[in-house]
Amino acid sequence: MTDELTRRQLLERAAMGGAAITFPGILAACGSSGSKASEGTTSVEQKLAKTLNFSNWTLYMDTKGKTFPSLEAFQKKTGVHVNYVEDINDNASFFAKIQGPLSRGQSIDRDIVVLTDNDRYLSLMIKKGWAEKLDKSAIPNIKNLVDVQKHPNFDPNRDYSLPWQSGMTGIAYNDTLTDPVLSVDDLLEGPKLKGKITVLNSMGDAMTLVMLSNGDDPTKVTDKTWNAAYSRIKKAVDNKQIRQFTGNDYAPILARGDLMAAMSWSGDIAQLGNKHIHWNVPEAGGALWTDNMLIPKGGNVYTASVYMNYVYDPKVQGLMEAGDPKRKIKGIYYIPPVKGAGEAAKQYDPAVAKNTLIFPTASMLSKVKIFDSKALNNQKYLEQWGNLVSG
Amino acid sequence: MNWFHRHRGLTPYLLLAPGVVFLAVFFLVPLGFLAYQSLESGNFDIGFSFTWSWSNYWDALHNYKAQFIRSLEYAGIATALALVISYPVAYWIAFRGGRWKNLLLLFIVAPFFVTYLIRTLAWETILSDNGFVVNTLQSLHVLGPSGRLLATSTAVVTGITYNFLPFMALPLYVSLEQIDERLIEAAEDLYASKLQAFLRVTFPLSLPGVVAGTLLTFIPAAGDFINAQLLGSTNNHMIGNVIQSKFLESTDYPAAAAMSFILMAGILVAVFLYARLVGTEQLTGTAA
Amino acid sequence: MSAVAVERAGPNVLAKVWAFVKHHILTAYSILFFVYLLLPIAVVVVFSFNNPPGKFNYTWNAFTWDNWIHWDAVPGIRSSIVLSLQIALLASLIATALGTLIALALVRYGFRGRATTNILIFLPLSTPEIVLGASLLTLFLNLNVIFGFWTILIAHIMFCISFAVVTVKARLVGFDRHLEEAAMDLGANEWTTFRKVTLPLIAPAILAALLLCFAISIDDFVVTYFNSGPEVTFPLFVWGAARIGAPPQVNVIGTAIFVIAVTLMLINVVVQMRREKRGLA
Repeated sequence: MTDELTRRQLLERAAMGGAAITFPGILAACGSSGSKASEGTTSVEQKLAKTLNFSNWTLYMDTKGKTFPSLEAFQKKTGVHVNYVEDINDNASFFAKIQGPLSRGQSIDRDIVVLTDNDRYLSLMIKKGWAEKLDKSAIPNIKNLVDVQKHPNFDPNRDYSLPWQSGMTGIAYNDTLTDPVLSVDDLLEGPKLKGKITVLNSMGDAMTLVMLSNGDDPTKVTDKTWNAAYSRIKKAVDNKQIRQFTGNDYAPILARGDLMAAMSWSGDIAQLGNKHIHWNVPEAGGALWTDNMLIPKGGNVYTASVYMNYVYDPKVQGLMEAGDPKRKIKGIYYIPPVKGAGEAAKQYDPAVAKNTLIFPTASMLSKVKIFDSKALNNQKYLEQWGNLVSG
Repeated sequence: MNWFHRHRGLTPYLLLAPGVVFLAVFFLVPLGFLAYQSLESGNFDIGFSFTWSWSNYWDALHNYKAQFIRSLEYAGIATALALVISYPVAYWIAFRGGRWKNLLLLFIVAPFFVTYLIRTLAWETILSDNGFVVNTLQSLHVLGPSGRLLATSTAVVTGITYNFLPFMALPLYVSLEQIDERLIEAAEDLYASKLQAFLRVTFPLSLPGVVAGTLLTFIPAAGDFINAQLLGSTNNHMIGNVIQSKFLESTDYPAAAAMSFILMAGILVAVFLYARLVGTEQLTGTAA
Repeated sequence: MSAVAVERAGPNVLAKVWAFVKHHILTAYSILFFVYLLLPIAVVVVFSFNNPPGKFNYTWNAFTWDNWIHWDAVPGIRSSIVLSLQIALLASLIATALGTLIALALVRYGFRGRATTNILIFLPLSTPEIVLGASLLTLFLNLNVIFGFWTILIAHIMFCISFAVVTVKARLVGFDRHLEEAAMDLGANEWTTFRKVTLPLIAPAILAALLLCFAISIDDFVVTYFNSGPEVTFPLFVWGAARIGAPPQVNVIGTAIFVIAVTLMLINVVVQMRREKRGLA
């Protein structure tokens, strides 16, 4: 099922016309006998591997100088060396890179990868069967998962994924250039902001904010709600309200004052270190995005599961999240998915434990929503959005 | 050496062999796969299958005509600008550079050592809405009071021009440096003014460099996407951005592949017309 | 007599001024050009001494030597630049060598398939990087190779060859064959002629091709991304780090490479000057 060209298909194409047999076809038929991914392990061997290959986003782990304290502690505890590679900086391009081997049934030599849930690729991996099932018997700490993350619509029973860190999407504004921009209405239709705002190019983020502002529910997208939100953004594009669609490159533009306001991610604004730039969850609500850990096909399920159990210990998570200035450990500073991490963090860095961008209050969390993962993979929406943003 | 003399006819093929074989394996085969992909249909969910889907080409041309044309336009303007900007400097280095030639050439490619993202970030700082450059242009009334340079087509074209300057300047230099100054002296001895000497002797002799620089600038610039993405607004996007989006976000590999081939065809047509203009010997080189 | 003398002096001064301007206008323009070219480098250098207010190095905060002293402090930055330099060096050498051979064949020989070869050279230039990178990835997957140094190197050589060919061709097209003929008339065989006459005369083109290929290789992102496997080159590192704010050490490294390269070239110039002096003495 994962091999694209079986012998039968090759012969079928030969029948269609000699030209259809291409080099790649022949190569594919002859070549790949590579490290085939196990065709769905029925029972997980409960033996720890020597190495855990972990691909993650940059600067998404606690650090002490050039080392990663939590990974070192994990090695001390279990004897497993974590080969930590920070080679993910964008869901789309990382997926484009790994879909090649995965679609051929080849392993990508990773035990854990991290993908975002408000982008289509996380649910796509699960849908295509490219993710291994977690060994939940090795993850008793899964009970510490915060309630709001227990049944996401792309993985209702948390069989394949577990959150790594979360963040929120809202609106940032520069108080030296504008009055507070606290709603999507202000952002998209405020006349004083014309040409001085940016919107995120990620469908999951932008659409969630606009739909909430329209009074619609982004967790269950319909054609009607989609069209309403889409046309509103398109209008802002056409009358030049929106300066650009950006990824994370809104930060420099905001920092040097070329923008009055920007749709932005919570973590970034704290990092700018500029006391004139404020971030808020929009009045009508914002987006919650979560980077999830996934075991790609061919990864070592047991070892990966043991690692996941380790980071779901509230004490471990608290230290990873907040860091510890006494031991010169720098934290991750995103939103942890583990119950009790906030309490644990208080003993390490009380100042960070009080930061609501890292440990948000319940009322903040009630105002952020996760985008409908079915809509993320809707071809029609994808094409429309693509044309709007990069066409 | 006798063997070579006897097999004289083989020489060009022997010279070509290493490079061409390398390209054949590591470029043509992937290109073949791309061509195969361009005729597939389906989507990522249900899978792709080869169905001689020529509609991919038709749809791409039909839906994204504006972006194709804009790409050729931006690339053309950027190439012309690069030529005008670089020619005098290439001339200066070639004729007046003396022993500093190589150092000056190094300066020309130096910006590439700082990676694209960092030098573009630096440019954005320089061209900021509140920066020195924009303020000066506003007071000179070149820009309106709320005008800006960034997130405009100007920024995109300037970005492309800047980033492709070495591709124009270096070939120009290579050709100019070869010119024997005595030819220019001879022309002046024959009562040509400096300008005439340039137009009738120097410039024609530098034509191979002009052609080379033009090709090395225009062709890759047409497929560029990153300048438009960072420096442009929504209506400045080039076909490279669409291909990027189709490939990464929509995972519509056949569409991206078809668009790439249309772009390549468009570029080849433009190059063909250009060759007609300058004379094909410049393009392909004269045989011995 | 004095009135006439003054009249004659007038236009003379103007003519002298005009001649001065004309002679130096090219130099003035070239200086402006280099200012324009290196302006962003100046900004990069300045910001390499910045102590950023937060994680982002976008606004000037305070001067510090820290970034230069601890240039290595960011995990992964050293190995990424070492890898990039290795690849750039090797790729530019190999691509220029292969490209020079092809250029020689194309310009000096009429053979069947000449037009096709020309088109073959232009094609990689016109292929958008993302499909180029992805298709090469597919080839490597089908060949079952291990991704890393060699796949990156092969990719870089592949897209650099065309640049080398076109650059060297620009030199060969106007090449004066008489010099070679003269050498051969004087008894040199083809190989000696090539070594002692042709090669030195096209050396500037080869150097230019090397510089160009080096620059392209050290700055490449898209094709490298797809074919790098677990390896991280400098552009990949910067792209990844930029998400949370590229650290000032990135500026440090960029500046350092520039300074080292310039120094090497300067040493070369000084050595040449010394040689010339000795030659004259």
